Order: sequence, then structure tokens, then C-alpha cells
Amino acid sequence: MPPSIQEVKARHEARLMEKPGVVAVGVGRDADGRQAIIVSLDRERPDTRAAMPEVLEGYAVRVQVIGPVRAQ
Amino acid sequence: MAESLEATRSALREESRGLLARRNVVATGAGYKVTSGKRTRTPCIVCSVTRKMPASELSAADVVPATIRGVATDVIETGPIRAFQPPTGRFRPAPGGVSIGHRDITAGTLGCLVRKGGESFILSNNHVLANSNAAAIGDPILQPGPHDGGTLANDHIANLEAFVPISFVAPEPPSECGFAQAVIALLNAGCRVIGSGTRYRIVSIQQTPNLVDAAIARPLAAASVIDEIHGIGAIQGTVQGALGMRVQKSGRTTGLTTGEILQVDVTVNVQYGPGQVAQFTDQLLAGAMSQGGDSDSAVLDEQKRLTGLLFAGSDSTTIINRIEHVFGALGVTR
Repeated sequence: MPPSIQEVKARHEARLMEKPGVVAVGVGRDADGRQAIIVSLDRERPDTRAAMPEVLEGYAVRVQVIGPVRAQ
Repeated sequence: MAESLEATRSALREESRGLLARRNVVATGAGYKVTSGKRTRTPCIVCSVTRKMPASELSAADVVPATIRGVATDVIETGPIRAFQPPTGRFRPAPGGVSIGHRDITAGTLGCLVRKGGESFILSNNHVLANSNAAAIGDPILQPGPHDGGTLANDHIANLEAFVPISFVAPEPPSECGFAQAVIALLNAGCRVIGSGTRYRIVSIQQTPNLVDAAIARPLAAASVIDEIHGIGAIQGTVQGALGMRVQKSGRTTGLTTGEILQVDVTVNVQYGPGQVAQFTDQLLAGAMSQGGDSDSAVLDEQKRLTGLLFAGSDSTTIINRIEHVFGALGVTR
């Protein structure tokens, strides 16, 4: 049994959240509708993007800019 | 047919005043007559009434005649017609989706009513009802919130009953801390003056993942709140949020909006103020469907089942606490 995407995300999350500008990590879908680990940034960050893996234990990693998250 | 509609409009101009003077009639217009639930091609004068009553219960002067000036009439029940009330106004009873807030904040959104120990409580965010941990149990809650003109004298609707403390990641900058300490000292002096046993304190700063930003307030009177959502209606149970779920919310700032859950299992860093960040885990993330002041809108699916509480967002996203975590943390139910 391959690990679930939740297990993989949980394993790598702390490391992903430490990268500059990362505000969120979640489980979503990529452009083709496949489950993916979604890394969200506060603004465009070329260095952080470059440091992100494309795949983690078989699951795609997608990076997107959502802006800073504030309590509303 | 066009001529006939013209005749109807002409008759309406002459007769609308007299029709509106009749009991229960709240609107008149020109339309097509509906017979057995189907719209016909017969133009008629449509009278909207608050309530349909048998002619036998109305005085002769109040009965809408079947024809007027040779034009057919139709009577439809619309209920009372009200001006749209913006959610920033004062509501009694107050439903979910309208402005509310602790007396020391700006304004947020009343989520919905929940039950605890057989009583009804107002559910909203900690940062709305408990001023991000800074409030004391029993503090007054205003509807509308202070930013929307709510005052303690006129709009005190509830008292803070309980809140789930938020654990903040980063300490506030030193300048902020000095200010905070001065404020706390002032507040505590005020507490001593009024003889309150409560003392404010600066919340210890630790890195514990948060699941919810939630608090409840006890209404001063049961009749001052109503168990429905402004613009949505009654809540039809609860449901676990899932990827791809279509959701809706009614909030103080942006009113009724819809969206889709785009991510689950979300870990997110949320800014509460300068240098004040809290990390939340197991959140739901939807597309942009909120702005400042919309916390803590209840988030429902298309079947009006409660799935979460909106509390944060960015320009392109909305972050939602899972309702099961909110209920678990506060020990409440629907």
C-alpha cells in the first residue's frame, strides 16, 4: 500500500512551511484534477519555488501565490 | 395581445391606489394570470397580498374583484415585502450573517446559534467575541459591532460565555508589547474599580497548532436571537467539508457569496496583527468569498448543511474551521 497523500503531506509539511514566504500547505487538485500537495505563497518567490520538489513520494506538488492570509 | 396588456396597464394606473388601500394588498402590477399553477396568456392586474384569505372573512370593500374595468385580476400571496436590510444594521431578533462584536473590536459576523446544556448561544470567532484572547468572560457583546455603530447602551445583545484560546507563533514586537502592557494595566485598574474578579493578562506565547478560532456568547434574552442565517434561512444539519464541495456563506461585509472547497488538510499561518501570527491545522480552503468583517460567517453546503466557520482569508482564498472541531472544542451542538 502506498502512503496516502495526507500521510505524505504530514511527513513533509514542517519542512515546506519553513521555506520563506510559505503561508499554507494543503491537499487539493492540480490542473488535471489529480490529488496534489498545494503549497501557497504570500507573494511570488523565485527562490522558494526553485527549492520546492515537483513530486513527494509519488504525489505532485503545486506552488501557487495566494497573498498573505489575515484574520477577517 | 399587446393592446390588451396596454389596456391592463392603463386600468392599473387608474385603480392601483384603490387596490393598495384594501386589506393585505402590498403590491399591484401588470402581469399574466396564473391559473392552476400555470401562467396563461391573459394579461391581468396582479395584486400581491401578505396572506390569502377567503372572501367570506373579508369585508366587501377589501375583496379584490375578479375583474376591474373589464380587466382580469389575480391575487398572489407574497408575504410582507421588506426593504433589504444590510447585515451591518441592528437586528432583533438577530440571525446569523449580521454584524456583531466584542465592545473593544471593530465588527465581525454572527455565525449561528448553537446549543450547550439545553441553552442557546451565539457562535462566532474568538477574535470577534473575545478580542483575540484579550477579553474577560462576561464581557459585553454588541449587535451591530462597534464599527457599525453598536453601543453598549443600545445594542448590548449578549455576554462572552467561553472561548478557545488562540496560540500565537511569534511574539509581538517590543514596542507593541509595551503598549499592550500599558493597556492591560489600564484594563486591570478598571476591573478593580468596578470590583470585577477578572484580571486581564498577556497570553503566553507558545507554538501549539490551533484547530479553531471560536467563542460563544450568552444572549441576554432568548428572543433577541433567531436560529437562521440572514439571506439563507434555516440550517439543515451539519456535514463534513470535502474537496470540491460547493459552499455558501452570509457575512457582514460581502453578504451572500458562494465558493468551492479547493483544499483540505490545510496548515496555514494567519496574521492577526503586526507580528502576531497563529498557525492552524486541518482547515478547509475555499476560493475568494470573503473580506475583512466576514469572520465568523457560517459556511454551508448547497443543501444548507453547516460545514464550517469562516475566519480568515487572503486576496484569493478563504480559510474555514471545520465545524466538527468547533463543536468539539467548545462542547456545543446544533
